Amino acid sequence: MNPHRFFRSRSIHNNIAISFSLLILCTTIVLSYTSYRLSSAAVMGNSVAYTSQLIEQVKLNIENYISNMESIAALVLTSSDLERYVKGSSSGQEGKVKDKQLASQYLRSVVQSRTDISSIVYASSEGITVSDRLDAVLKPLPELIAQEWYQQALNQTGVAVSSSHVQHLFQDEYRWVVSISRKLSDTFSEMEADRQGVLLVDLNYSVINNLCKQIELGKRGYVFIVDPSGSLVYHPQQQLIYSQLKFEQLETVLGIKSGSVTVNTGNEQKLYTVDTTSFGWKIVGVTYPDDLVANKQQMQGTAALWGAVSLIFAMAISVLLSYALTKPLKNLEINMKKAERGEFDIRVEIESTNEIGKLARTFNLMIMKIKELMSQIVMEQEMKRVSELKALQAQIKPHFLYNTLDSIIWMAETGKMEEVVEMTSSLSKLMRSTIGEGEELIPIARELEHIRHYLTIQNMRYRHKFTYSIEVDEDILECSILKLVLQPLVENAIYHGIKHNPEQGHILIRGKKEQNDITIQVIDNGVGMNPEQMNKLLLQKADYRIGSGVGVANVNHRIQLYFGDHYGLSFTSEMEEGTTVILRIPALYEEENP
Amino acid sequence: MSSLWSKIGLSALLVIFIVALGWVGYRMFMNDLDPKVRTIIYVPKTIDTSIEFWEVMKQGVATAAKEFGADVHTVGTDTELDVDKQIQLLEQAIEEKPDAIILAATDYYRLVPVAEQIKAAGITLITVDSGLNGGVSESFIATDNYEAGRKAAQKLIENIQSDDQVAIMNFVPGSATAIEREKGVRDALSQNGVNLVQDTLYSNGSSKKAYQLTVDLLKNQPQIKGIIGLNEPSTLGAGLAIMAMGLKSKVKLVGFDNSSSEVQLLENETMLGTVIQKPFTMGYLAVKTALEVVSGHKVAPVMDTGSEFITKENMYTSENEKLMFPFIE
Repeated sequence: MNPHRFFRSRSIHNNIAISFSLLILCTTIVLSYTSYRLSSAAVMGNSVAYTSQLIEQVKLNIENYISNMESIAALVLTSSDLERYVKGSSSGQEGKVKDKQLASQYLRSVVQSRTDISSIVYASSEGITVSDRLDAVLKPLPELIAQEWYQQALNQTGVAVSSSHVQHLFQDEYRWVVSISRKLSDTFSEMEADRQGVLLVDLNYSVINNLCKQIELGKRGYVFIVDPSGSLVYHPQQQLIYSQLKFEQLETVLGIKSGSVTVNTGNEQKLYTVDTTSFGWKIVGVTYPDDLVANKQQMQGTAALWGAVSLIFAMAISVLLSYALTKPLKNLEINMKKAERGEFDIRVEIESTNEIGKLARTFNLMIMKIKELMSQIVMEQEMKRVSELKALQAQIKPHFLYNTLDSIIWMAETGKMEEVVEMTSSLSKLMRSTIGEGEELIPIARELEHIRHYLTIQNMRYRHKFTYSIEVDEDILECSILKLVLQPLVENAIYHGIKHNPEQGHILIRGKKEQNDITIQVIDNGVGMNPEQMNKLLLQKADYRIGSGVGVANVNHRIQLYFGDHYGLSFTSEMEEGTTVILRIPALYEEENP
Repeated sequence: MSSLWSKIGLSALLVIFIVALGWVGYRMFMNDLDPKVRTIIYVPKTIDTSIEFWEVMKQGVATAAKEFGADVHTVGTDTELDVDKQIQLLEQAIEEKPDAIILAATDYYRLVPVAEQIKAAGITLITVDSGLNGGVSESFIATDNYEAGRKAAQKLIENIQSDDQVAIMNFVPGSATAIEREKGVRDALSQNGVNLVQDTLYSNGSSKKAYQLTVDLLKNQPQIKGIIGLNEPSTLGAGLAIMAMGLKSKVKLVGFDNSSSEVQLLENETMLGTVIQKPFTMGYLAVKTALEVVSGHKVAPVMDTGSEFITKENMYTSENEKLMFPFIE
């Protein structure tokens, strides 16, 4: 998604909240991951250090055992009993047997003093054999000297340490031992080279087995020992390795003197921690990095947990913060909505001096200005309306005046003085009330007075072509009505209804109260109008040049301007039957006048 | 409209975090409380500690248990012959609702019903060394006895003429192990043109009986040039008889299994060699396989742990030493 669009479509509040959240999310993830990595590395390091210490301890113990065996071997070799027998210094068969017994007794006393020694045997190629056991039957000499411990000791100076193996020196005895063998000629240096013998000290394998077995390296870790030739001295799963169900990377191990290395065996990682004894055995601690997984998972869990907790706190804070930041904006928005609906009395409370505060102040100024402009417009409109009314009121048509004056002249010429007087008097009153005192609303009684004068003049002009009657309820006479609204209606009735009617017509003006309204009907029994004419009558614009129809539209317009759209004129008419114009205004008594 | 969506998005985000938190908490909780220790009941043919074979198998079981973090209990009878007691022990084992039972069946047929009960209880059943009729168990881990028989016969064939007479000293008629070993022996002999095979002798697992039978056989049929003993007492009895009659250069003997008496027969060359099994591997694989089945993996219905032919010459190699002379703590 386009990021611009993403942010545009959301409120600032949400944008701030989301941005903060994302920021916090990233930070938390990075921090949690880093702390997890660091602590996991620390745990790993600790574990390696711990394993190294353990392995060193095992190494020291084993070296200790072996050096004990070596010193025992050295001790045995200095014993006079053995020396006497080996050198064959005693003469005679009996003396030799006695010497052998003494040597054997000496060896037995050494073996019995230590539980970790399995047996001690001395054998030499010229046929001298002696062991710590007098009664046990040793294997024949050729077999003995063919064995590895013998050959190994011959071929090297110093002490030969074998791997773990089954010792088969005695008939019917098969013990697991580690053999420490030593050439005799090294110490008995005065002996001839061909009289070589080898002293063998067998160390109980269980000593090494127990030592290694008790080492706990994590859940599944273990210790194994391999000799320099690559054969296993101790391995808890030795049989599985021989069955090729398990593998150890012995080449890797043999290449290391001490230290740690990670190897892949099968589908798993192992960590080898190697240490080498003085005589060449490699003590190898095997740990599974995955064993730390329990720890690792806990760390992962803790890191994730705290990450999540701080995330939730931070999210809540970011939501609150964004709310606090956008609250004045929201407030402003609410006020703007009000202004949109036309309320200009509002003022936004300015809570701060920041950008939003400035915005609010500007908004307030704007609203004030708008309000001023609005009232100005209202005033101007009012003035315009008043002047328009004035103009409408001023529409006493010159035609009417000329015609009336013509009639008066004509009557004067024919000597109808009484009538001249009556008409002139009516005209005079008519003119007076038309010009009036400038007020807009007058009592209905006065309006009716005015219409009576008008009707008098018209009746005389049209030579009594019509009769008229005024039936207005007494109680509405004091009510207010717009000035000069009835005259155009009556004029219309005369010009359009009566004038073209061959018979004498009648105009009835009837006024009454209907609930809160007043209706005044101008009823004639003239030629009537079709709906088209009626519409035309109301829709005509103020065009003063065309007949009196203009006046009707003006009346309607004035009433609606003054009282509202509910009021005004309505017509009912039937051809050849007459027309009724109904004027409707609110019932206003003088004291209620605005 | 857009603010509605934003609100939904925000709530969704919050819900995701709460769910994530819950999940993490749940995981930690479960890790602390449920270390997923599987329980296994191991029922060997006997818990008699003097029998090396079962002790070594127990070592294999213990090694695997440590490596894979399983909780293994061993229950068993005092002798290999107590079939009723073994059935009873298995019924008790079902009550304990372990994840798996590893069984070395003392009888090929009679333990089948209780094995069905074990399966019906939803417990994984693995048979080791000695299986059951019909292959009820998820996996049978043992020496391929037919192959072992062939191996023994092969060594004998190399040391005799094809027109020499050969005898077979078996232990019990009807034992699956015995039948398969004998079948392997007979097939290998006949395929190599050695056809003069005597009727099978049965020692009933007693070296005394084997000794007597061998003495009688060699007296009555001095033309016999080879004997194959199909288990330890049978081999030992035959070997002692040959030794006693001074016929070790004339009669070649191959056998099965190992004991220090047999080692002596090897060392004094009365016996050409012996076929030995790998009980450590059996025990180890049994536990490993049981755990694999429990955690929903497919396993092979039959696993061969293999066998080795041991002679005087290769007896003390480091590989064979461990098999011939198991180190028992």
